[in-house]
Amino acid sequence: MAASSKSSVVLKAVKQVMVQMCPFESNVRSTREFLFMVGSEKARATNMNCEVSTVVKHDKSEPVVDVTFTDGERLVMKGAKLTGQEMLQAFQSRCLAKDTQAKAKK
Amino acid sequence: MAATLCGTLLAKSGWLPLTQCGRVRHMSKSVTRHKRPMHIIKQKLMAVTEYIPPKRLAAGAYPSQNKKVEVESGLVLLLKKEVKKVFQDCKMIAVVQNNASNSEDMLTLRHRLHKHSLTVKFFPNQVMRSFLKDSEFCNMAPLFIGSTVLIISTQGKVKEMLSTLRGSPQMVLLGACVDGTLLSAQGVQHYSKLPSVSVVQGELVSGLTLLSSRTASLLQHHPARLSALLQQYVSQQGAPAAEPRPQESEGVAAQS
Repeated sequence: MAASSKSSVVLKAVKQVMVQMCPFESNVRSTREFLFMVGSEKARATNMNCEVSTVVKHDKSEPVVDVTFTDGERLVMKGAKLTGQEMLQAFQSRCLAKDTQAKAKK
Repeated sequence: MAATLCGTLLAKSGWLPLTQCGRVRHMSKSVTRHKRPMHIIKQKLMAVTEYIPPKRLAAGAYPSQNKKVEVESGLVLLLKKEVKKVFQDCKMIAVVQNNASNSEDMLTLRHRLHKHSLTVKFFPNQVMRSFLKDSEFCNMAPLFIGSTVLIISTQGKVKEMLSTLRGSPQMVLLGACVDGTLLSAQGVQHYSKLPSVSVVQGELVSGLTLLSSRTASLLQHHPARLSALLQQYVSQQGAPAAEPRPQESEGVAAQS
């Protein structure tokens, strides 16, 4: 499983990460990889208040990742046609942008 | 002189050497020991028309003629045997994804599961997939992506497993194979809420005997009602007979 070791996941600006998937489908690989990266010890250590919850379904629905940030913004990623790397990059870029915004405000 | 002689001879025979076909270039040699320098135009042409082979082959463009038979190593075979044994012996096999839990969490979880005689097993995904595709559990194969852990039990203790997993949030239950039946995560939860076998058997027996018991009660209804009424009549008759006795005894006491 390709793990991006270049940049770690920073969850400081994230309030909640909700992952919804059907493990018996074949389009779940990227979502599972994303979940693995976001749910790792390192990532969780950056923000202990962030909840990473997983809902396992069995209704042939598409895998969806719903991220709620501290300022109320939501990022919804439908992982059926995305790779794990793309999802992680999009997530990280938004997290970094929020982080820099928060630092600039301070 | 030879040329003129030739010229006259040939002219007489009717064949004139044409200047075009008999053109001989008196320049450098064509066959040399070193590489002959190319004319610049020819060089340019060769550079432009150079062959660039394709970098990547399209899938299926050139299928391999000899199909490579992969020989599995001894370790893989050994692990496969172990997996087969697990599937034969255990009543419940649950597949759980662990999102990088550290060793302490793992130890705590293993300890808690061991109390309920549940075991945690780790197998490489490759071994699992190669075993599953040959066996009857091939539909479980898509579960084995990423870091997965097997929780096995010889007695189907699903409730205890669910309650233990609720304690560790990073372990996600993906599915389970209970009694040879493949269940999803929701199926496992429904299974845990089922009553025990004896209770279900009792319910089944009571449901089956319901009709016959109703018939029996209907038949016995009339004689039962008659006997109840008669008993009540007897008890009512007995009560007025009991009342005059205390009056008689009072009369006897007054007389005496």
